[in-house]
Amino acid sequence: MTRWLLLILIATTAQAQTPLDGATRADWPHNGGQQSAWRYSALDQVNTSNVRGLAPAWLFQTGDYADNLQATPIVVDGVMYLISARAQVFALNAATGDVIWQYKYGEPRSGTPGTHADFILNRGVAVGGGKVIFGTKDSYLVALDQKTGREAWKVAVDDPRQCGCNLGAAPLIAGDKVIIGGNGGEIAHRGYLTAFHISNGRLAWRWYVIPGPGEKGNETWKGDSWKFGGGAPWMTGSFDADLNTVYWGTGNAASDFYDGDRSGDASKYPNLYTASIVALDADTGKLKWHYQEVPDDLWDFDSAYEVILMDRVVKGQPRRILAHMNKSGLTTVLDRVTGEHLGVFNVPEMSTWIAGVTEDGKLIGRKDPKPGTVVDVCPSSVGAKSSNAMAYSPQTGYLYIPTVETCNAISSTDLPPEEGKRYMNGGHPLKVAPGHSDASHIDAWDPVTGKRIWTVPYKYLLLSSMLATAGNLVFTGDPDGYFFALDARTGEKLWKFQTGAGNRGAAISYSVNGRQYVAETTGWQQGITGGFASNLFPDQSWRNGSTLVVFALPEATK
Amino acid sequence: MNRLPKTLLLITLLAGLLPAQDLATVLKKGQAVYAATCTGYCHGESGAAGSAPRLSGRGFDQAYITGVVTRGVPGTSMPAFNSGISAADRAAVIAYVASLNGIVSPSLGAAVSSTPATAKLTGEAARGRALFYDATRSFGRCSTCHEVDGVGIPVAAPIAKIPADVSALRALATPNVLNVTVAGESMPALILSRKAQSVVFYDLTVAPPVLRTVAASDIRIGEASPWRHASAIASYKDSELSPILVWFQASRAAKN
Repeated sequence: MTRWLLLILIATTAQAQTPLDGATRADWPHNGGQQSAWRYSALDQVNTSNVRGLAPAWLFQTGDYADNLQATPIVVDGVMYLISARAQVFALNAATGDVIWQYKYGEPRSGTPGTHADFILNRGVAVGGGKVIFGTKDSYLVALDQKTGREAWKVAVDDPRQCGCNLGAAPLIAGDKVIIGGNGGEIAHRGYLTAFHISNGRLAWRWYVIPGPGEKGNETWKGDSWKFGGGAPWMTGSFDADLNTVYWGTGNAASDFYDGDRSGDASKYPNLYTASIVALDADTGKLKWHYQEVPDDLWDFDSAYEVILMDRVVKGQPRRILAHMNKSGLTTVLDRVTGEHLGVFNVPEMSTWIAGVTEDGKLIGRKDPKPGTVVDVCPSSVGAKSSNAMAYSPQTGYLYIPTVETCNAISSTDLPPEEGKRYMNGGHPLKVAPGHSDASHIDAWDPVTGKRIWTVPYKYLLLSSMLATAGNLVFTGDPDGYFFALDARTGEKLWKFQTGAGNRGAAISYSVNGRQYVAETTGWQQGITGGFASNLFPDQSWRNGSTLVVFALPEATK
Repeated sequence: MNRLPKTLLLITLLAGLLPAQDLATVLKKGQAVYAATCTGYCHGESGAAGSAPRLSGRGFDQAYITGVVTRGVPGTSMPAFNSGISAADRAAVIAYVASLNGIVSPSLGAAVSSTPATAKLTGEAARGRALFYDATRSFGRCSTCHEVDGVGIPVAAPIAKIPADVSALRALATPNVLNVTVAGESMPALILSRKAQSVVFYDLTVAPPVLRTVAASDIRIGEASPWRHASAIASYKDSELSPILVWFQASRAAKN
């Protein structure tokens, strides 16, 4: 007995001493690179010394033009899997761009106008277990055969005409299951994550963000408000296979700007588990622990963004941690085994929604919107970062964060919820943060010290995800159409290329036959944040489109 | 946006019942519909730009506004408001947006025409309808497999015959559910198509049903499955199934 215990202890210690490797190499297998969401490639053929020679190797035009190409491509064994805004899926030869197969999702069932069902976007496929899996505008999860592109299974996750919700995020593969969150944060809807068996599409589990009657946490909601209290986890979570734990950020509480129905008192009714990071057992969907970043959210400050898992030395101790930014710009570092709070830092330069935050993450001096008043706060509901993801480089130890400096004047209303209908309760006109001639900056932050290392300004809104590589490079794109590379250590701009349309996508890096490629999905999108950005700068005309641009060093110079 | 007084909400709710209204009332109603439906993540208050374009002072005429509202703008996030909104609300919001474009006397159309009183569900029928679509039951609700009045997932064929009572509903036979075997595993299946190359069917093993496409060579189709509809409605008590049947009867009566 004792001997067994000792063996287990040794095994556990040994595991803890092997740091998590979230880097990608030849493949880019998951939405965030690996399931730890680093968006970091260990490839270094393209590096600070030769990036000036980077040139297009091939382009791929999806033909789905009216809107963006926002999806993160997936690359496995030299094949790229790409989905367009209207769910056309392509398997491409990742070295040449030749089409291996293509699939077109049929006309989606119409949803209720004025809800998320209106938004035309898709943020990516997941590839695993021989399937290519994606969510749809009408809330189906669809699995294609990875070799042929033929439909293998399809399941209705919800009915958009009832819930006003839909599926825009890339699913997450976790072992033999695929997990998908949904949109619906601005709708009278109760958010959830749903897991299905990859092999046959059968339901594995569903976890509701808002606990039902009799479940722990339901008491943090007034009356029946739990039924329509939002929290939809509308982006992609992370997975730690060692801990068999799924990490996900949840959405804002609904209604967005009025809490009279659901709270009115953040300490008594924090509205769990909205605006939180949650750790769930990957097999059962049972909650292991949670950390709520914004109790009783009143600013549309989702916590839905990427959860970055890493192993770092914190205060002299090697720890398994995670770093996570809320829309407010507060970035929290937790022990990912226990949920213990290890630190918090504030990324945007303009923050007026609270007076401050304590070392242990408590909000001080909240500026709560109230009906009958106009409350001017920064950041705006667009977020100190939008849904475009940051990257993490283990080489520098920094997070690379596309930060946005905007504010909004929130005027709230107190209309009651109606299932599946708009439930924001307020207007929130946007402006660039006062005193800021530049609306964005790309920052490098050390998540352990909470210090900003460097910052590079950009005039408009940066809405493209970041990619970091072992070549000490950081890549991203801008609405003007430039895809560019910075020195990961200093922020110095080393290279740029005009892609011909606004960038709102996600760059990846991969290699085929020893040649490193860097790919960026391009094409502006007027939907939501892109529309806000366009209307903030009416003299600009950023172009829509739907083109993948793939770069490499010329064969002779590699 | 200024706070909308409760009285305005009341007017909005009552508007459909009033036979005639003056322009000011319609515009107020249109403003309320606009605030609840068009603002937030899309247009700004009073026609200002939000993420979607500005709508005030654009020189739009009413025919154009009507066209965009009813047909949407293909290829953008602007939907066609031709369903999910009442004709009176649509006409009111069109009139309101027209007023934001300097049209002093917009046509009020359906906003003032006496709308036919739609059969309003009351009592047991209303409760039955709510139970049928009850989201708190997750995949245990009826609408996981049945589409009624355009809502729900049409896994099963439209409900043609209403069971006489709850025990008949519980005893419902499903002879079209067959036992199929895929890769050595048997499962209850609702078969949609059998072609030379592939078979398309719903796997009913667990809710929600999974639409599967399997190569004809990989599937063996057997006899009637022991699967029963009763298992799919297990989350409902008799006292909950009863109002659902009342609702079916009431809506059938309303249609006939």
